[in-house]
Amino acid sequence: MDCVSKVGGLAMAPLLFGCEPGAAKNPIGMNLSARDLNPLSPLPPPFAPKAKSIIYLHMAGAPSQLELFDYKPELIKYDGKPCPESLLEGRQFAFIRGVPNILGPQAKFAQHGQSGAWVSDYLPHFSTVVDEVSFLKAVHTDQFNHGPAQLFMQTGSPRLGRPSIGSWVTYGLGTENQNLPGFVVLTSGGKTPDAGKSIWGSGFLPSVYQGVQCRAKGDPVLYLQDPDGMTRDLKKSVIQAINSSNEESFKEFGDPEILARINQYEMAYRMQIEVPEVMNINDEPTDIQELYGTKPGEESFANNCLLARKLVEKGVRFVQLYDWGWDTHGTSKKESIDSGLRHKCQEIDRPITALLLDLKQRGLLEETLVVWGGEFGRTPMQENREGKVQGWKGRDHHGDAFTMWMAGGGIKKGASYGVTDDFGFAGLEERVSVHDIHASILHLMGFDHEKFTHDFQGRPFRLTDVEGELIRKILA
Amino acid sequence: MLDFILPLLGRLHPLLVHLPIGILIFGILLIFWQKKGSTGFNPVIRLAFLLGAISATLAGISGFFQYQFEGFAWDSIQNHLIAGVIIAIGSFYVFTQIKDGTIFTYKIKLQVSALFLVLTVTGHLGGNISRGEDYLLEVLPAEIQALAGYEAAPEKPLEIPEQGWEELEFYGEVVQPILNQNCKSCHNPRNLKGELNLTNLEEILKGGENGEVLKAGNPELSAIFAKMILPLDDEDHMPPKEKRQPSKEQIELIKTWIAAGASKTSTLGQAGVEEKLLEPFFQKDEIPFYPLTELTALPADTLSKLRKEGFFAEIIIQGSSWLKVSCINFPDFKDSDWALLRSVKGQIAYLDLSATQVTEGILDSIASLPNLTVLKLNQTGISGSQLGTLSTCKNLKLLYLNSTQLSLENLSGINKHPSLQKVFAFQTPAGASENPGKFNFELETGNYSLPKIPADTIVY
Repeated sequence: MDCVSKVGGLAMAPLLFGCEPGAAKNPIGMNLSARDLNPLSPLPPPFAPKAKSIIYLHMAGAPSQLELFDYKPELIKYDGKPCPESLLEGRQFAFIRGVPNILGPQAKFAQHGQSGAWVSDYLPHFSTVVDEVSFLKAVHTDQFNHGPAQLFMQTGSPRLGRPSIGSWVTYGLGTENQNLPGFVVLTSGGKTPDAGKSIWGSGFLPSVYQGVQCRAKGDPVLYLQDPDGMTRDLKKSVIQAINSSNEESFKEFGDPEILARINQYEMAYRMQIEVPEVMNINDEPTDIQELYGTKPGEESFANNCLLARKLVEKGVRFVQLYDWGWDTHGTSKKESIDSGLRHKCQEIDRPITALLLDLKQRGLLEETLVVWGGEFGRTPMQENREGKVQGWKGRDHHGDAFTMWMAGGGIKKGASYGVTDDFGFAGLEERVSVHDIHASILHLMGFDHEKFTHDFQGRPFRLTDVEGELIRKILA
Repeated sequence: MLDFILPLLGRLHPLLVHLPIGILIFGILLIFWQKKGSTGFNPVIRLAFLLGAISATLAGISGFFQYQFEGFAWDSIQNHLIAGVIIAIGSFYVFTQIKDGTIFTYKIKLQVSALFLVLTVTGHLGGNISRGEDYLLEVLPAEIQALAGYEAAPEKPLEIPEQGWEELEFYGEVVQPILNQNCKSCHNPRNLKGELNLTNLEEILKGGENGEVLKAGNPELSAIFAKMILPLDDEDHMPPKEKRQPSKEQIELIKTWIAAGASKTSTLGQAGVEEKLLEPFFQKDEIPFYPLTELTALPADTLSKLRKEGFFAEIIIQGSSWLKVSCINFPDFKDSDWALLRSVKGQIAYLDLSATQVTEGILDSIASLPNLTVLKLNQTGISGSQLGTLSTCKNLKLLYLNSTQLSLENLSGINKHPSLQKVFAFQTPAGASENPGKFNFELETGNYSLPKIPADTIVY
């Protein structure tokens, strides 16, 4: 293995370190755990895990459940008619004012697979793999603006400062491949989500647990590549010099933080080789490229899906994908239900289907949890921004009921949980909160969400705060 | 007016009992300590036995009042009381035997030894009454508990069938088992803490020293519910905070039962209990993924040794010895490196040798892992001619052979494997064959493709 300390012949280095991070000997009788030396070193979960990695596909902007999964024939009857007062009383919407009209489903629905799951013609490929998936049809959130709702969905709180799901999971479990980050973030759709980088931030957890954003174009990780004129050998001697100086400090002060820092340099040095390797999709065979519909050299959701599989295969704990552009208000063609949304669906339909199939054929679906969803859903009413009917068909933000799905490790195949009313406005039965989803994700990774805490500002904090119930009906 | 005196005296019993214990043991020690033939300690010894006898009497009287006023059953304190009386009388007797010039004979030493024994027994019985009979045993390791014939959880946790739970009697089959599990050890006919007996509905309705504890239809006014939702730090919280706490579903069920009228006969269905509340109690015949075999614990430095060699090595579940070993950062692993893993043969449950230099011969070594459950050999040169040897891995469930030279013929070599559930053979000669045939396990050959459809290219 390529490793700085072993090669360098430093006085302390061979004594202190093997190649592996955390392999330090105990130089001054300190009781150092592997975690003191390397914050990403693995830890066992308290319970038997059903999944060892997670791929979370977040459609930023919030896709319309009424055009994709939640079929409401009743809405067709009311299409274009004023919305009943009972749905509007005492309610506040992001943009809808006054009395809007009902908007019927714009997609054609059919039942698919042995499970008979309803999927629209917006997702023709995905409808062939519904039997791998468990649908949650009555998810609800209490936020109706993108930023807070995305924060809530990804960190368990609509306000800043909490660690994201990926941070909790890498904090709890560490990661397997010591040459790669444990929590990788990939974005597509031209923009990053409205809530900014806080949705993959580490909050009050040590910052080493935040997501590492990898870019599709250019260097996958910024500042990881050597600048022009810097050879690998030169880099090696630079790191050796830094590390030996750090070792001197360690001898003087005995602070384990210094050892952790030395390890971080080692890891960064190894990542320089491994990250560009795993982030390169060009070496994948053509049939795999075609399966996903990749667009080499571009920023695309398909590329990111293929990368997600490669990263999980390489032992990365949490891969978070964000695809921007799902906010379909009807204010422009691009942001309309009948055109823009169809286009977005076309962009993800083949890749998500390919991802499920590819994980399945490699046996990775046995131990990888795949989650798909947005930050909220959309209204059964057509949006009437400023009281005016928009030029295109669109729906406003709506958090009372929307659809998400999960698949893979520990998830039932072909299940559907949750029932919404005839308008798809609110959940009637088997409602699922954002905290419930988090509780279930942690459960599948081997944690009791009520016991998995981190002490901060004088009290223990959980991903699920003081709520969250397991969604037992979708657990295999 | 002075009604409180006697109960107060009763409550002083836990304080008073320590006086005779300390003073008498002091006297007994002096008897044995005194040099042979010497009588120098005698005045002190006399005083010790006099004070010991008086305090033992006081302790006995206060103990009797505690029994009277604190709701203890005669059965449970009988032996303790008799032993206490013996101590009081015995120490008076010894006191009268000792004069300033008495030489302590073998006989007196035997008597005071017996007194010491009774003292110990009395103290222990008293401790059992106040702290519970399992007070000392609770903290011992499970093996020693077993030696003492003690079972850690005498009350079975609540279990509810998933089908037909609507017909279960709410009180008898749900509420009482919850009370038995969480409350009974202190509120039973033998140990009536707060004069409250929670072992049957009639007694529950009688209430305790602070009046009734169950008000049908009103959980908030029913102490058996309300005290459970007080903050843990509240001194009125029940069960006491150092005891095991009921789950929130258990508390919710008790609340629901009281709210529905606290009837003795109504069923779960009649009370309108939501299925969600019962889910944690449904019996699950879940077969654990990893074998149930008891393992020898791993030596403390095993993980760090393996990691130093370059393996990814981790315990699969906290507190278990099941080991996951992977060569994800050890691509140079070859057959001869197997020696590095020999010491953890019994513990390896998950082994990933994908993308290493291993050859066919590695299967012979792998066959020596009795508890192996998941085996990954993706991207290796293996053709599977030795797969049959894996029949000794009696727990093997998932076998990954993607991107290997696995042939269909070699795959059938493992068809009779007793536990194998799934084999992955994507990108192999076996996977490429048109008709791989039927196997006892599920065979995943992959090669999925998605047809090109018009919807892929329409510009919306």
